[in-house]
This record gives sequence, C-alpha cells and structure tokens, in this order.
Amino acid sequence: MTGMAPAPQPETDAPKPAGHIPGQPDMWVLVLFEALVFTAYFAVYLFHRSASSELFLRSQADLNPWLGTLDTVLLLTSSMFMLRCVQAARAGAVRTAMTNVCLTAALGVAFLASKITEWILLTRDGHGFTSNEFFLYYFFLTGIHLLHLLIGFITLGVIIYQLRNPKRRSQEIVETCATYWHTVDLLWILIFSLLYVVR
Amino acid sequence: MNALTKRRSLIVLLVLVAITLGYLALDSAADNGSAYRASTAVTVIAICLALIKVRLIFREFMQVKNAPTVLRRLTDLWVLLIGATLLGSYFLGLAVH
Repeated sequence: MTGMAPAPQPETDAPKPAGHIPGQPDMWVLVLFEALVFTAYFAVYLFHRSASSELFLRSQADLNPWLGTLDTVLLLTSSMFMLRCVQAARAGAVRTAMTNVCLTAALGVAFLASKITEWILLTRDGHGFTSNEFFLYYFFLTGIHLLHLLIGFITLGVIIYQLRNPKRRSQEIVETCATYWHTVDLLWILIFSLLYVVR
Repeated sequence: MNALTKRRSLIVLLVLVAITLGYLALDSAADNGSAYRASTAVTVIAICLALIKVRLIFREFMQVKNAPTVLRRLTDLWVLLIGATLLGSYFLGLAVH
C-alpha cells in the first residue's frame, strides 16, 4: 500500500509514471485467478451447449436480448464512471471522484434491479434452476456474477470511505477497489455473449 | 480530470456500446424470425467481439495501458487463453457430438 495521500493536489491529469500498476498487485492476482475460474465454467457451458444445441437455442429464445443489452450498457457505463472516479481522485478532485463513484453505484443498483426483474419474469414463465440444462447454466452464471456484483458494492463503499476521510485516503486502495469493479463488468461481458448472443 | 481524458473515456464507452448493439444485428441476421438457429459463424464472431471488448476494458478502463509490461502481457495472454479455451471447447463439443 502506498499509504496516505492527505495533501490536496492540483487538479491536473499528469500521466502516471510509466509502469504504474493500477491498485495493489494482489488484486490483479485475484482478478486473473477469478477470470480463469470463470473461463472453466464457460468452457464446460460451451461444450455442453454443442451437445444439446436445439434445447439450448429453444431455451435461449425465452431470454430477453434487450434486457441483456441494457444490463451490459449499464455496467459498461458504470465502468466509465469508475475510471473517471479514479482519475479525479488521483488529481485530488475529491468531489468529482465522489460524484463519479456515486454514479457508478447507481448504475450498479440499476443492473441489480434489471437482473432481478429478469429472474422474476423467467420464473413466472416456469423457468428455474432445474428446468433444463440451459437454465441451470443461466441461473448459475448470472447468480454467481450477481454475488460478485454485491461484493463490488462493498468495494464502492470502501472507495466512498476513502474519499470521505482525507487523513486515511489512499489512492492505491481506490484503484484496487476500482479494479474489482471493472472485473465485475468484464465477467458480465463474457456471460452476456455466451448466454444471449452465441448460437 | 480534463476534457481530453473525459472525451477519451466517452469514446471508449461508445465503441463498447456500439459493439454490444452490433450483437443484436448479428443475431437477427442469423435467426429465422423468432426461431433461433445454430450458427458457428455467429458464435465465433460473438466470442471474438467479446474478447475485443474485454481487452478494451483492460487497456482503457482498468488503465493497463500504463501498467508495467508484465501486466500488459499477462492480460493479453489471458485474453488469448480465454479465446482459445472458449473456441476450443465449442469446436470440441461439435466434433464429439
């Protein structure tokens, strides 16, 4: 941890020195490990999908691609605001950083609401964890992703806590939490492609 | 945060959203109305586009473009690895079944 950054800095965008790791290296180890675990899930899903192509296509048609697209746009936009939060925090513009992290959180909540709505609609149509193999994968992948989103909210809380406490503020912790949030986005990009788009 | 960095992040977002919307066009080109049809081309293109988006997020939003070479290479390697794994398991599934 680089530690405290109490002194307000002028709001500039001086590029970080070459070779700057965004956040703590430990978080990157976690990110790449998590990504590998998800890759294994995706590989099993695609393999089984090829085996029951008709069933998967029929079940996939019950998903709402517009809702999936909306979810994706929400998380992508949240990632942009998270980047702006990090850049503003780095420049010492705490108020701007706070605004951006709050926008990130709001979009995260919108994603959560959209996902729960989709689950409710699917459940009303008679689809569940045990309906068939496609919905087993659907609820498993979206469920485990939602769990990561909830952990992401905790990291947003940590960023807000850091920004509110000038004596404790650590740019490295802000960047570490931001890295986690981007990972939630990144995983959703892949889940969306595999559940909604592939044929 | 100056106007230039804000504009850059917005442009990246617009590219990512455009690719996402492109998926819908991709699917509607492959499907027969509301009936979904299996398509290897759509599957391969969808996976490749997803990997392009992932790399853009790594580079721009996660600021890996300013990271040490090892992290840049590691993330690129991961993108290649997941691409090979996804396409490999898809084609393996097709071959086995």
